[in-house]
Amino acid sequence: MLARTVTHALVGIEPRRIEVEAHIERGLKAFTIVGLPDKACQEAKERVRSGISSAELGWPAAGRITINLAPAQLRKEGSGFDLPIALALLAASAQLPRDALDGHAAFGELALDGRLRPVPGALVAAEGARRAGLRRLLCAAESGPEVALAGVEPVGVAHLAEAVSYLRGERGPPDLPPPSDDFETLADVPDLADVRGQERARRALEIAAAGRHNLLMAGPPGTGKTMLARRLPGILPLLADEPSLEVTRIHSVAGLLAPGSGLVRVPPFRAPHHAASVAGLIGGGHVGIRPGEVSLAHHGVLFLDELPEFQRPALEGLRQPLEDGFVQVARVTGRVTFPARFQLVAAMNLCPCGARGHGAAECSCTPERVQRYREKLSRALLDRFDLLLAVPRPRAVELAGAPAEPSTPVRERVLAARRRLREQPLERTRAADELLTRAVDRLPLSGRGRARVGRVAETIAALAAAASVEPEHVAEALSFRPPSELVE
Amino acid sequence: MSELATAVFAAHTEAHLVDAPRSTRFATFRKTFDEPGYVRDLHARGYRWIARGDHAFPHRLAAIHDPPPGLFVRGDADLALLERVSVAVVGARACSAYGASVARTLGRELAAAGVVVVSGLARGVDAQSHRGALETGTTVAVLGCGIDRDYPRSHAALAAEIARGGLIVSEYPPGVEPAPWRFPARNRIVGGLTLATVVVEARERSGALITADLALDEGREVLAVPGEITSQLSRGSNHLLRLGAVPVTCANDVLRVLGVEPAPPAPPRVLEPRLERVHALVADAPKTADEVALGIGERVAGIAAALVELELLGLVEQADGLYRAAPNVGSRS
Repeated sequence: MLARTVTHALVGIEPRRIEVEAHIERGLKAFTIVGLPDKACQEAKERVRSGISSAELGWPAAGRITINLAPAQLRKEGSGFDLPIALALLAASAQLPRDALDGHAAFGELALDGRLRPVPGALVAAEGARRAGLRRLLCAAESGPEVALAGVEPVGVAHLAEAVSYLRGERGPPDLPPPSDDFETLADVPDLADVRGQERARRALEIAAAGRHNLLMAGPPGTGKTMLARRLPGILPLLADEPSLEVTRIHSVAGLLAPGSGLVRVPPFRAPHHAASVAGLIGGGHVGIRPGEVSLAHHGVLFLDELPEFQRPALEGLRQPLEDGFVQVARVTGRVTFPARFQLVAAMNLCPCGARGHGAAECSCTPERVQRYREKLSRALLDRFDLLLAVPRPRAVELAGAPAEPSTPVRERVLAARRRLREQPLERTRAADELLTRAVDRLPLSGRGRARVGRVAETIAALAAAASVEPEHVAEALSFRPPSELVE
Repeated sequence: MSELATAVFAAHTEAHLVDAPRSTRFATFRKTFDEPGYVRDLHARGYRWIARGDHAFPHRLAAIHDPPPGLFVRGDADLALLERVSVAVVGARACSAYGASVARTLGRELAAAGVVVVSGLARGVDAQSHRGALETGTTVAVLGCGIDRDYPRSHAALAAEIARGGLIVSEYPPGVEPAPWRFPARNRIVGGLTLATVVVEARERSGALITADLALDEGREVLAVPGEITSQLSRGSNHLLRLGAVPVTCANDVLRVLGVEPAPPAPPRVLEPRLERVHALVADAPKTADEVALGIGERVAGIAAALVELELLGLVEQADGLYRAAPNVGSRS
């Protein structure tokens, strides 16, 4: 007998419809899965066998069982196929009503005792189901809220037996806890009030947030560069519906969503370690192409601490996503596109030993060593940073000063500035233009640097709610140009 | 007329030669050496050669006890440039922001007074003094490798700029790669070409001190810029001061030693009161933008803008986030 269920495999972050066919015929006992299953998928055999018997359902007594995953040429990865395989098998052995599976998709991993386990990517599988015109998706109870986000009715079950009794019509779809609105609320993001002193760095952060400028902070260790970067998401606008869904989808595929979570509303913050591989940063991998940190930071902040310590190929790999807002990972098996529109914040020391700019310590680096350290960053990469900020060590007076302004008012200014920038571009006044020209003559500033300063000046004017870009805005923008040593 | 052969032979054999050696090996080399052909090639590449015996060979350099057999020259300027009043500005490669700023200002103001600034094209003080001099006048770079080598590589653009109005000279033929032992030899030419040597910043054992020693041996003046007594980077230069070197607190100190009329002092600049206050704070001691803002009692946004205006006026310099007053030494005196 033949039965069929529908599920969706992940190709990158796109769903691909997979038909799971189960065929039972008389013959020697055998259980085969065909259709390019990977190792995890191949092992579904054992989980399905054990799960079905734990659910006190019947294993087809005598027969040769063949499971086909179609289309056959697409590689099937992961354990999300357990549930559809089990259900197809039960339908093929007439343990489920003939039409029970119509209008349903299934996605989930089975435990040996028949319980269902959530699998990363439920949101994407659910979107596939919606596009395929399927109304309901059978999945682990934990995946329910994620599935609901895609506009598909989740049938979240805790156990295979529960799924079967639902399909037999013995019970309705189980109730789900309402999804919490935000996966993570702003309350979980550290607040700017914790950063004492460093007024200038806080100002740079505010400008970066308002104009989506990439920011590079250079300074000795212990000056709060990381602390500042972590507070950037807290002053960015929350994600609107469409970007939020995109981010949630990527995080779903990467298995980063907490069980029972709703949409990701707070811009994500990703801080990969500098030992990260190219595949880890950009996306890829040998088994299954997975989104990299640049995609996990989509619509959020990618923070690279110790920037020059990253592998050169990884850094150069950042250029495409910075330019295009997506990455394309090509493999023999195919090409996958991941969105990667992130704001880049990076931190570095001024020299390898870290003492430069410290004040109290004397740098022991030879000029050649400093040069090599800085040469690791190509001009092309440095050009992507609109704001370059030297972060010197704050003195005790600053640290003992009054508590700093918290994130909320800063965030409001950022939101207002973004509104203004959206409404209409701000023109430079004549005097502002003259100042910029004078600066290009006098300071080490390239033509591209000029454009960069112009952009930043516009953001500063928007923050000041000015009607046009005035000389003082250009002057402040000029103060965030690369330190001369970085351009020499 | 064996100087060119000597210079080329020295490069071949990696030896330091001042005079033609009396070896059979050199005699053999000389027989096969095509001097006119070599000079033709040199000219074809836009380079010149002045032998020690030539009339054009700089007299001051000829007067030292071990002058090079001759000089290979790159650049557009007249060779008479090497006879003009000149001063060597040398110092640490790993200089501090203070050293870099002083070297640049000295270069600029000395060149403005018509003095030729000579240095070694190295990183740090050398490069800064060349750069400063290029802003207002001419400069000469002395290399420890072939004049076509542009060492260090990152200074290729600087070298090209120097060659446009000034000269790049070396006792080594084109093609000779830099080697550590060639640099002290180069330093004797820096000291020998000039009337005085100014050491801006030098560690205890620094190449700049070799230049100073050689200059002293040849009876030239040695000057030094005082540095912080707690900094390793000033050990060498402060040591020179203790030995009796002339302290340099402004470009005029150097000009006085050279007997050159200082440029008339620039009219005092009138700043608006707010900029004046910011400048005064920074002139007091180097400060971060945050510290200046704290001192003035204003938001840092406006202060950063004010500091940039002062930078554009050439009154303030910034390195690694620290703002310091530009050593506007010429007009102070």
